[in-house]
Amino acid sequence: MSDVQLADWRNHALTLESEVNKVVVGQQTPIRLITTSIFARGHVLLEGDVGVGKTTLLRAFTRGIGGGYQRIEGTIDLMPNDLVYHTYLGEDGKPHVSPGPLLMSGENLSVFFFNEINRARPQVHSLLLRVMAERSLSAFNTEHYFPHMIVFADRNQVEKEETFEIPSAARDRFMMEIPIVVPNDDAIMEALVFDTKFHNVDALVDTVKPDVLQFDELNAFSSVIQNSIEASDTLKRYALNLWKATKAPLDYGVKVSGVDMNRLVLSGASPRGMSMMLRAARVNAWLNNRNAVLPDDIHAVFHSTIAHRLVFSPVYEMRRTEIAREMLSGIVNAVAAP
Amino acid sequence: MTKYFRDLLLAAILSITSLQALALDSQNLPDVDEGIVSISTVDPFKRVGYTVGDVIEREVTLTIKAPYKLVETSLPIVGYEKRYKGKVIGIELKEIQHSKVEHKDYATHQLKLAYQVFTNSVVAKNAALGPEYLQLVNTKNSKQLVKYRVPSLDIAVSPIAIFGQVKVENNMSTFLEPLLLKNDQEKTRLKLAAGALVLSLLALLYIFGKHAWLPRMGGNFAKTYRAIKKLPHNDEGLKQAVAAVHHAFNQTAKVSVFNGNVDEFLASNPNFLHIKNEISQFFGLSRQVYFEPSAVHSVGSNPTLWLLKFTKQCRDCERGLIPTTNRAGV
Repeated sequence: MSDVQLADWRNHALTLESEVNKVVVGQQTPIRLITTSIFARGHVLLEGDVGVGKTTLLRAFTRGIGGGYQRIEGTIDLMPNDLVYHTYLGEDGKPHVSPGPLLMSGENLSVFFFNEINRARPQVHSLLLRVMAERSLSAFNTEHYFPHMIVFADRNQVEKEETFEIPSAARDRFMMEIPIVVPNDDAIMEALVFDTKFHNVDALVDTVKPDVLQFDELNAFSSVIQNSIEASDTLKRYALNLWKATKAPLDYGVKVSGVDMNRLVLSGASPRGMSMMLRAARVNAWLNNRNAVLPDDIHAVFHSTIAHRLVFSPVYEMRRTEIAREMLSGIVNAVAAP
Repeated sequence: MTKYFRDLLLAAILSITSLQALALDSQNLPDVDEGIVSISTVDPFKRVGYTVGDVIEREVTLTIKAPYKLVETSLPIVGYEKRYKGKVIGIELKEIQHSKVEHKDYATHQLKLAYQVFTNSVVAKNAALGPEYLQLVNTKNSKQLVKYRVPSLDIAVSPIAIFGQVKVENNMSTFLEPLLLKNDQEKTRLKLAAGALVLSLLALLYIFGKHAWLPRMGGNFAKTYRAIKKLPHNDEGLKQAVAAVHHAFNQTAKVSVFNGNVDEFLASNPNFLHIKNEISQFFGLSRQVYFEPSAVHSVGSNPTLWLLKFTKQCRDCERGLIPTTNRAGV
């Protein structure tokens, strides 16, 4: 694929970003990260309080990507088969089976949105893990494939009752965990409250230009990006040092206030996590019109691709978000390149 | 009225006595009583080595108690040829300045005498300034004239040229320092040159020394500047130089500095705001050298030289100075 085509796709990507930024204001960084994950073909976990615009954000992206969009709400009584099919008695009085959210769009499924994933049981998580990892599912004696699917999930970190913490293995399947916070800008906050266009979410999402991207070409183009954007030896060494630092932060002089660093990290970033980080960094370099990955590209995705993969001692799990942020900032500050 | 006549009478008497005094030889008068006159002199330090034409100054201060007064006509006469044993001694009074201050009980006379030597000899010989004889009159008894002898000052007159073989050591005098050429200007120049030399040596010692000891002089960029000056001007040298400058930035900021957090670095190190554009150029160069060979930097055709100047600018910023502008490619 020529540089012209790379530039053409970049324009589409920036258009998508621009469209989403119109309906979800004050979230430029999460929107850039989601764009990155779409082109890196990685699943996204959104974390944020209630009513901050997570669902609106994902619906806006879905409209821009095109393809099939399915959504399911995580509840404590949700069972794995609820994702695959549902049964009902038809008008003829006979039992009928209909495809569930996963199967309904077939291979055209481009976005599967799992709302409040931490309210679902571990059995549901297990099914989702397989679907995320293999993009396939066995049902009705048939293997179903979802080659274009990206899973967006969100979880509410405030409420803990009747929730099931996502295990580290499940978290590791997500390319990114992106925090969504309320913007600090007074003008934006005022607009969100008083501007009536933000009151009707359906109408708001409908303003997004549809099918900006061709969802069924994203996989192929993602490979082009990964093959086109280079990583120098210096950058590889830098990434390697970052990885080592996630495993043994104390070796790099990284400290977190109020934490015994010798006991903090049970497991650093996984090889899959690091490869996902570099995939995302390559996409970030491409979005910034570069031919090679710079340390700044890694920094742009480092927190969102690594923080949720770290496994801390249970005593520090309650402060995971805060500790992970401080530790990863310390690692970026401590590791030099070149 | 009585006082007026008395003063008039005294003036007339003094006039008459002074006229008489001229006729008198002062040396034949009786000496003034002891304690009436006190004297102090300021004599030249040099006592020997005078030759024809030299002028020797001497200052004499006399304090004369009442009722005696100095007969001013008895003061030494300029140009008078003094003789010793009937022979002209060759030292004449060239100039005399007289001033007096009268008080109720005494009067002070200051005499500034300048003698000139008019004699010469093939060998050194003794001579003297004075003595001078002054006449005093008792104002209460106008007929009483007395003398006061101003003591002479012994000097030695030397020949202008030495004849024959002379052993210098035998003729050396502790009163006569050797003639010296004036070298004050040369001494000043020598001191300035020595000062400049010491400062230069200190500067060289600092520049080539391993450690810096002056305040704000041992910074990270100062060390880096010295280090990268020694690196070869090739690709490998450039890579090492860029890495060294990165290291200096990291040490200065105490965190790793990248293109993405340069603004934070500038906020915490505002001295570097003068070279904000150059720092951006540096990260562009680093990108090309270390990460993206196809990228185009904006530092010109000689990045090593540019980097050297950039590091010097950083060093100046580190020292709180305002650096000179670094043009690309220069």
